[in-house]
Amino acid sequence: MKQNNGERNKWKMKYSTSRKVNGFIFVLPWLLGFIIFFAVPIKNTILYSFNKVEVGESGGIALTFSGLQNYIDLFTEEVSTLSQPIQRMFADENSNIFTQLPLIVIFSLFLAILANAKFPGRGIVRVIFFLPIVLGLQLIVEWTQASMGRTLIETSAGGMLGSGMGVDLLFQYTFLPPKTILFLSDVIANISQLITRTGVQTMIFLAGLQSISPSHYEVAKIEGANSYEVFWKVTIPLLANVTVFTVIYTLIDLFLSSSIAVEVYNFAFTKSKIGIGSALSVVYMLNVLVALGIVMLFLKVVHLVEKK
Amino acid sequence: MRKNNELVVQNTSNSVKPREENPFTKRKFTGFLSKIFLATLIVSICFAILYPILTLLPMVFTDLRDLGSPDSIWIPSTFSVNSIEFTFRSVMRGDITIMFRSLLYALTICFIQVFMSAMAGYSLARTDFKGKGLVFFLVIFVFLVPRQSFLITQYLHFKHFDILGIFQMFLGHDMDLINQPITLYLLAIFGFSVNQSLFIFIFRQFFKGLPIEIEEASLIDGAGFYKTYFKIMLPNAMPAILTVAVLAFVWAYGDTYYTNYFHTDGPYFGVIIDKTFKDANNWYINNQARQWFDTATTNDLAFEALKQASIITFLTPLLIIYFFVQRKIVENLDRVGIVG
Repeated sequence: MKQNNGERNKWKMKYSTSRKVNGFIFVLPWLLGFIIFFAVPIKNTILYSFNKVEVGESGGIALTFSGLQNYIDLFTEEVSTLSQPIQRMFADENSNIFTQLPLIVIFSLFLAILANAKFPGRGIVRVIFFLPIVLGLQLIVEWTQASMGRTLIETSAGGMLGSGMGVDLLFQYTFLPPKTILFLSDVIANISQLITRTGVQTMIFLAGLQSISPSHYEVAKIEGANSYEVFWKVTIPLLANVTVFTVIYTLIDLFLSSSIAVEVYNFAFTKSKIGIGSALSVVYMLNVLVALGIVMLFLKVVHLVEKK
Repeated sequence: MRKNNELVVQNTSNSVKPREENPFTKRKFTGFLSKIFLATLIVSICFAILYPILTLLPMVFTDLRDLGSPDSIWIPSTFSVNSIEFTFRSVMRGDITIMFRSLLYALTICFIQVFMSAMAGYSLARTDFKGKGLVFFLVIFVFLVPRQSFLITQYLHFKHFDILGIFQMFLGHDMDLINQPITLYLLAIFGFSVNQSLFIFIFRQFFKGLPIEIEEASLIDGAGFYKTYFKIMLPNAMPAILTVAVLAFVWAYGDTYYTNYFHTDGPYFGVIIDKTFKDANNWYINNQARQWFDTATTNDLAFEALKQASIITFLTPLLIIYFFVQRKIVENLDRVGIVG
């Protein structure tokens, strides 16, 4: 009996170590990739940003240490493709991203709730609601936004599809301050641009909504909650994890398609200023991480992220 | 929410019987109104989503001669498929396989991505080797760092590719991996293609949510680690695989970032369209269109129409595939388990 027990323990030990080894083997390709395709380039980016980068005699890269010179040049001498100072570009992009972020998250939650409701023709509506996954490809967004067909149609429709009429109505019949109205009209005018970013988020929210067990709603109903209360007291808290995920995804997605990213390419390949391009990359990277930190802090304040 | 409303309506109509005789009760009226409101809302959102595509279509199917005429804004006055034909003849250089080759490329990348990320995800969810927490943190970190920020050094890294001086030692020189298709596959195999850390994360969440009993049962039946994974866990991961596969496929097909920088001359439809319709090519394209479809004059609008035609052609296979797969995804969505 005792021996048997010992043998079992031994087998168990052996099994658990082999499992650890196998688990490590499974993640090994990724780790290798991390070193080759991520860690080394990141290290080099940081290195280049503190150096003057030139093409060496043998065709390689020659580095001469220059301290913070690249960063100083970046913010004092260089200009973006729009001939604006770099800090102006960062300010614009950040304010843009932080206004779009809540709009996109709320709108995709809204779409997911609509797609989750029961009504005739739901199948077709769902097909269309998830279409932004395809139409939101950056390639397609870029192509369609500047398309002449759109301009033609919009001018011929006499601004009906634009915001002109709505803004007039808001100005006359509400007492909102002009700034709010301008903001609203801006949002409405850019609604299709906003929608192109909602594909994945809607999908994630719908997954979250569908995984909420109906018993939660039944309990709420029995307790006499109205649908407003059910939404705020049941749906939203149960979607907390999904919301955090969506917010992070949206933030990263917005940064990836911001004009800062294009600027990095310009500095490196068009202007051939690799050192300054690297400095810009480092600032860009830090910017994303800081923005993320701020967002996480905000989510913690509103209790969407659990305190550990 | 709506379910709740309906229930309330039913309850009152059952308990208060006399009111039912009057079909125009207040409650029914507001219910009717809210239905109309909801329908309008849904239809208008659908319109807003489809709007970018809808604005492309009219110009594409208008005869090149009629472009810009006030008679054909939404509905072409003369219907023609010249622009689509131009896409096949000029953009694809008469070689329709370009489209299939980029679809095949997307499919391959998608397959590799699913396979590799499922493995990593499973390992992160179900085994506990030393440093697992750190690896998971790194996966998240990779997702958070924008890929453009290390584009320059990644490019240079591939230009002079070498691992620990091994190539230098055996070949006497480092490898130039730029403009080679293998670079893209290497990226996918080692987990750094488009948003691959996101996929690892999805798989990890999914495997974490699967009941542990499945695995234990197969272990007791004597299956080893690999057999359990490939025979039991992977088939059970179908919902996650499907979701990741669709995202990976769409993103690989629409990717111009990796394809453009690391394999510029490759047969990727998106990259080719992007290159063909540069503003600098305006004159050339107009000229070509004028010769082929013998129109006396063409203008900037023709250039745009031709560009839009190739966008539509680019999108068509994607939309067809999406249409077939979409239903399956939605059915499985609650089981994907990003939630946990």
